[in-house]
Amino acid sequence: MKIKNIFIALLVALFSLSSCSDFLEREPDKILSDDQIFSDAIMIKSVLSNFYGRITWGQHIDDSYSYTILDEAAKTDGGPDNRGGFEDDRWRVYDYSLLRNLNQFLKGVRASTVLDNATQKQLEGEARFIRAWLYFNMVRGMGGMPIVGDEVFEYTPGMDITALQYPRSTEAELYDYIISECDAIKDFLPVDPSVRAARATKWAALMLKARAAVYAGSLANYNNKMASPIKTSGGEVGIPANLAQGYYQIALTAAEDVIKSGKYELQLSKPDDRGRNFYEALSVKENNKEVIWARDYKYPGQTNGFTQSNIPPSHAEDIDRAYAGPILNLVEDFEYINDRDGAIKTKDANGNYIFYDKPEDAFANKDPRLWGTVIYPGAVFKGTPVVLQAGQKYLENGVWKFRTSEPGVTDDNKILITSVNGPTTTNNQFINKTGFFFRKFLDETPSASTRGRRSEMWFPRFRFAEAVMIAAEAAYELNQPIKSLTYLNMIRERAGIQSLTSVTFNDIVRENRVEFAFEDHRYWDLKRWRLADKVWNGVQNSSTAQQWALFPYLVNDPSNPNNGKWVFDKIATHMSPNPRNFEMKNYYNFIDQGWINNNPKIVKNPYQ
Amino acid sequence: MKKYTYIFLITIASFLLTGCGLDNYDAPQSKLHGKITYNGEALSLRGTGEAIQLQLYQDGYQLRDNIRVYVGQDGTFEALLFDGEYKLVTRDKNGPWVNTRDTIVVNLKGSTEVEVKVTPYFTISDESIKLTGSELNATFKVDKIVNSANIDYVTLLVSKTSFVDDVNNIARKDFKNQQPGTLNLSMDLSGNAKVAAAKALFARVGVRTVGADQSIYSDIVRLK
Repeated sequence: MKIKNIFIALLVALFSLSSCSDFLEREPDKILSDDQIFSDAIMIKSVLSNFYGRITWGQHIDDSYSYTILDEAAKTDGGPDNRGGFEDDRWRVYDYSLLRNLNQFLKGVRASTVLDNATQKQLEGEARFIRAWLYFNMVRGMGGMPIVGDEVFEYTPGMDITALQYPRSTEAELYDYIISECDAIKDFLPVDPSVRAARATKWAALMLKARAAVYAGSLANYNNKMASPIKTSGGEVGIPANLAQGYYQIALTAAEDVIKSGKYELQLSKPDDRGRNFYEALSVKENNKEVIWARDYKYPGQTNGFTQSNIPPSHAEDIDRAYAGPILNLVEDFEYINDRDGAIKTKDANGNYIFYDKPEDAFANKDPRLWGTVIYPGAVFKGTPVVLQAGQKYLENGVWKFRTSEPGVTDDNKILITSVNGPTTTNNQFINKTGFFFRKFLDETPSASTRGRRSEMWFPRFRFAEAVMIAAEAAYELNQPIKSLTYLNMIRERAGIQSLTSVTFNDIVRENRVEFAFEDHRYWDLKRWRLADKVWNGVQNSSTAQQWALFPYLVNDPSNPNNGKWVFDKIATHMSPNPRNFEMKNYYNFIDQGWINNNPKIVKNPYQ
Repeated sequence: MKKYTYIFLITIASFLLTGCGLDNYDAPQSKLHGKITYNGEALSLRGTGEAIQLQLYQDGYQLRDNIRVYVGQDGTFEALLFDGEYKLVTRDKNGPWVNTRDTIVVNLKGSTEVEVKVTPYFTISDESIKLTGSELNATFKVDKIVNSANIDYVTLLVSKTSFVDDVNNIARKDFKNQQPGTLNLSMDLSGNAKVAAAKALFARVGVRTVGADQSIYSDIVRLK
C-alpha cells in the first residue's frame, strides 16, 4: 500500500513538471536602480571599486601559469606542457560590457547631486582612467577598435541597429584617444599617492599616457622597419612611420613629469643589501615609495594564490607548492655587477666542471636584482636557505655520473641525494623542475601560502622605474643619447651594477627584461619592438626560444679532491619540450567572427 | 503485480519527457578536394598546426563565418560539404606565395576538384638528401619566381616521423645569407640523442622568404 502511494506521488510529480505561473514576473529585489545608486555616495564608491576589480588582464599574479607562457618561467607541476605556439586570442581583451558600465557610471556621477565638486571630478577622472586603461589593453592586443566616447547604448526591439555599429578606429587614433583622455583627466585626480597604490592618481594617468605613447611610437618605428610591415588598408593595424617622433616626444615629456613630481622615487631603503632592497621596492607595501598604481589585495575576501602555488616545498605551509619555476633564460639575462655577460659559469674552457664550495657561490656578483627576483639554489627565504639539489655526482672511470632519489632521501652516510625542493626530471607534482623559485611577489607573511588565507601581495601595474625606463627609451629614439644614458644609469645604479658609458637599443631591451620580469611587460615589449618572432623563433634548443633549467649537484666522491663541492648542469627543461614559436600572425590577436556577425563594420586583422 | 504496472507507467512517463524531433539534415556528403599548385605542380608546405589554411565562403546566409580548409604538407586539401556555390580564397598573408587572394568560385555537386594557383616566391627542385655517417648532405636547386623576393634563411630539417617542418623536427639548421641557385648544405647530427634513438628518419629542406609567414619545402625524403 505504501509503495503504491509513493508511485502515485511520483507520477503526479512527473506530470506536473511543466506548468505556468507568474512566479518569475516580479520586480527584482536584488537589482538597484540608477536612482538608488547615484543618490548615495557610498553606493557610488562601491560601484567604482567593482570596476577596479574587473581590469586585471594579461600576465598577473593571480594566474601564475601566465608566467609559463613566455621565457620567464616553466610549468613545474605534473607532466610536461606541450605549448609551443601562441593562441590567436592570447591575452585578448574585448570588454564592451565594462565600457558600457563605465559610461553608465559617468552619466550617473555627472548627474548626481549628493557629491561635492571635487569628489565628482575625482570619480569622473577614475572612471575615465579605467576606461582608457581598458582601451589600452584592447589596442595592444588587437589594434584599433571602435571608440564609443561617453555614449551609453540602449536597444529597444525593432530599432535600426546600424546606428549602434561603430567601425574600428585606426590603431593611431585609439592611442591618440588614450593619450588625450589621460591629459583631460590628470588634474581631476589626486596629486598625493593613494593608499597602497590602489586607486588612480594624476601620476597613474601620466604613466598610462607615457606607456601608451611609447608603445605607439615603437609600433610606428619598428613595424615599418620589418620586411613586410603588418598593416590593414584602413589603418586599423599599422601606424605610419612619420608619427613615431611625435609619440616618443609625448612619452618622454609624460615620463619626465612623473620623474620630477617628487612623489615617488627609485626606492633605496637598504643600500647595503641591494637584492633585499629590490624585493622590498616591489613586494612590500608598507612605506613603499616606488609603486604608482597596483592591483591591491586584502584579507579577507581579496587575496591571491601566487604564494600558495609557488612557495618552495621546504617552506610550504599547506598542500600546494612549486607549480611553476623561473628558468635559466631569465637568470642569465641578469648581468654580473662588473660583467655584462650574465651566463652562469658551469664549465671551464676545456669543458670541465667548475666546482663551487656552496651552490650560491655560482651566483656571486650577479646583478643584485636577481636575488630580489628569483630564489636561486642556496638563497635564503624567510630566514632559511632554500636547498635545491638534483642529486649527487661522482666520478667513474673518468666520467661524471649522477644519482638521484625520491625527494628528501639521504644515502647511507646521511648525505642528501635529492632535495625535497628538487629539481627533478620526473612528472611529479609539487616539486621544482627548473632550479629556481620565484621571489618577486612571493609573500613572506606567515600563512600567506595556506589555502584558507592566501596572500595579500599586490601586483604593481605602474612604478617609478618604468617612468625612468620609458624616458630612457624615448630619449634614445629621439636621438638624445646623453639623456637616455643618464636615465638608464639611474636604474642600473639603484640596482647596484656598473654604469654604462653609451647606450644601445639592446641595452634598453635587456634592462626592461630584467627590471620588469613577471610584471606583464615582456610580451608586449617584444611585440611592439617586433622582436617576438626573432626571440621566440621556434628553433629547438635555441638559447632564447627553448626553456632552460639549471640543475645543481653535490659532489659525493670521497676519493675526489672536490668531494662536497657543487657542480651545475644546464639542460633544456623536460617540462617544456617545445620551443616558443611566435609567428607573424601573433603580432595581433584575431578578431572574433562573432563580433563581425554582430557588427559587419568590423574588419579582420592581417593573417586572419 | 500492480507494482510493475506503476513502474511501467513511470517508465513511459519518463520517456514522454524527452523532447521532440530528429535532426532534419543528413551529414554533408559532397567532397571538395584539390591542391595548391604552381605551373601545375603541387607545392610542398607545412602541414601541421593548421599552418596553411584556405577559407570557404557561401553567399546568401545571414552570417559570414568561413569554413576553414586545412592544407596538408603535400599541398592537397579536402572538405566534406553540402552541394552549392562556394567562394574559395587563401588566408590573408598566409603561405609562401604572393598574397593576391583571388576568389575561386566553386560549384560543388558531388565530388569536385579545384586547383588553387599561386605564385610562390621561390621553388625548390632536384633535391637530393643523404645521410652519410652522422652528416646530412642536401643538394637542391632554389629558383626565384618573384623578382623582389629575398631569402631570409634556408633550413635543413630532420624528423622521426613523416611530418617534417619548422616545428615538427628533431634536428634543424638554418643558413642565412643564401642566394638562389644550386645549394649544397650539410648538418652534423652527431651528438643529437633524438636522431640516434629514432627508428625512422625523414628529411626535408625549406626556404623562408623575408617577410613571409611560412616556408616552402622540398618533398620529403626518407633517410632510414
